Amino acid sequence: MSDNPMKPYLGRLAEVKDLASEIKLFRVELMNGGCEAFQGYQPGQFAFLSAFGLGEAPFGIANACGQGNTLDFAVNRLGSVTTGLHEMGEGDILGVRGPMGNSFPMEAFKGRDLVVLGGGIGGAPLRPVIQTVLANRADYGQLTILWAARHPSLLVFTDEYEAWRSAPDTRLHLTVDQADPAWDHNTGLITDLLRKVNPSPKNAVTITCGPPIMIYYVSRMLGEMGFSPVNNYVTLEARMHCGLGKCGRCNLGEKLICVDGPVFNMAEVGNMLETFL
Amino acid sequence: MTDQWASANKRWAVTQEQLAGWLDSLAKVRTIIAPRDVSGVLLFRKVADSSQVAWGFGRTVMSVKEAFLPSTERLLTIHKTGQEVRLEVELAEGQQIIFGVRPCDARGVRMLDAVFLDSNPVDPYYAARRANTALVGLACRQVGASCFCTATGGAPDEAGDMDVMLYETGEGYLVEAVTERGRFLIPGGEWPQTRQPRPQVQPPEAAFTVPAREDWPRFFNQAEYWDRMAERCHSCRVCAYICPTCRCFAVRDEALPKPGEYERIRCWDSCEGKNYRLVAGGHRPRSVKGERIRNRMFCKFMYFPEQYDLDEAACTGCGRCIDACPVNLDITEIVTELGRLA
Repeated sequence: MSDNPMKPYLGRLAEVKDLASEIKLFRVELMNGGCEAFQGYQPGQFAFLSAFGLGEAPFGIANACGQGNTLDFAVNRLGSVTTGLHEMGEGDILGVRGPMGNSFPMEAFKGRDLVVLGGGIGGAPLRPVIQTVLANRADYGQLTILWAARHPSLLVFTDEYEAWRSAPDTRLHLTVDQADPAWDHNTGLITDLLRKVNPSPKNAVTITCGPPIMIYYVSRMLGEMGFSPVNNYVTLEARMHCGLGKCGRCNLGEKLICVDGPVFNMAEVGNMLETFL
Repeated sequence: MTDQWASANKRWAVTQEQLAGWLDSLAKVRTIIAPRDVSGVLLFRKVADSSQVAWGFGRTVMSVKEAFLPSTERLLTIHKTGQEVRLEVELAEGQQIIFGVRPCDARGVRMLDAVFLDSNPVDPYYAARRANTALVGLACRQVGASCFCTATGGAPDEAGDMDVMLYETGEGYLVEAVTERGRFLIPGGEWPQTRQPRPQVQPPEAAFTVPAREDWPRFFNQAEYWDRMAERCHSCRVCAYICPTCRCFAVRDEALPKPGEYERIRCWDSCEGKNYRLVAGGHRPRSVKGERIRNRMFCKFMYFPEQYDLDEAACTGCGRCIDACPVNLDITEIVTELGRLA
């Protein structure tokens, strides 16, 4: 990080494309020292994006390091910063601060089965995990992806499902809360899908990201299914204004999500999750 | 450290006139910030000379926090032209002295140091002010009605966080150089050195005991208790703003008058606010007021010390929050009551 961690690097929007309804993928090319700062970042880390003049907000980095010289972010248009970002086009300049936070222990996951559970845009920070496993396929066991959204129009990275499905030892299960006539996958909550898929906890780890209520119930169900808390990983988000462990905003008990997380296992935060709801 | 300097005879006895003269000469070359009466409100503000100091002051309404972490400060100036963006950073410059710092406030600065200086990454805005600023402390002769520094591990004459420490003697002041930086401020030859002992301030016995950090989790689920406290609370956040150790902040961009120019500012914020955790999607953790009061108390006595590796509570016992709260929520009562409930 630069000597002034509150000063963003500049990045140029190399590509913008629609991911889902009101969700866009931003591909950012780093400038002025940002390339060095982001060298070797890990799956699970995040960064702040600035829409200069409107403010900045944290986003999970949605691609694994080394897949091109760019950073991917999935941005849902919800507030003033994300609306400002959505109004930007290719070539426009935005600010990037990071990389921040801890990461998924991909080394420790080697040789184990992975169950990845993504809800809505919560799938974005899980995409680097999937990319890392698929790029080093022999290093990991079975990969089971449970991917959910409220509606088919809100599913993210749909153009990558075929590649995920056709990878060796990889299964993709889709579900939506509310189907439309064209939908020919599961309908229901991700917890219904999880019960149906019923993954074995033997030599397996789980990685969950989604809305807080989903994380809460999925984690509980995984516990009931026999996944021990230390094998039950989540990545959490909270409102943050610095990402550096200073602004105090993102605490979960004595933990600061920005620097102690965003990746935790349930042994670390399981008893605090209710305060996160 | 204090004792080493003291034993090396770095102690002087001065009159009120000598002390005022010292401040006047320092004011010619440095910025002096001191307790000052601002329309009836006692605040740390710049003074042109010693005549503007509110001599005989007790406790300022705001702590010295604002000298290091201003209520609003600019982090960046943003210049946008077409597709180009230029960012400018300005850090505080110029040497300054804060005169009349009470030991509880200096201890508060130590807590802020733990956040902004001692944990990586260093905050350059805070670091610049801290490096440029010397603290001249003034021991309390009396302990105020709402003060409880002794209960949280402090003392009314604690000099450890100062550069220079002053003690009122009745005839004048006893001056001690605490740090080397403090020693350089003192006009050595002109003042008579003394072996006179420090005047003793008899601190009141601590009225209550702060429970040990490992005991706090037992208070966590006293939801009924926290909700009862919350019935009174207006979420006005005055307790946080006047607190020497509350350091939560918000960052936002604002437009400047010139087209294409913006500033990124940070300003004080507080976990007591209803929208403090609100995210753009509408999710609002700690939406219940009792949970927010609980969080602030836990932050002071458990979370903050754990996050920043302190072996003491992040409460200096200054008592400002007790005096300022419009509905008489009293941190000492809460802590005492918790100890009783557990």
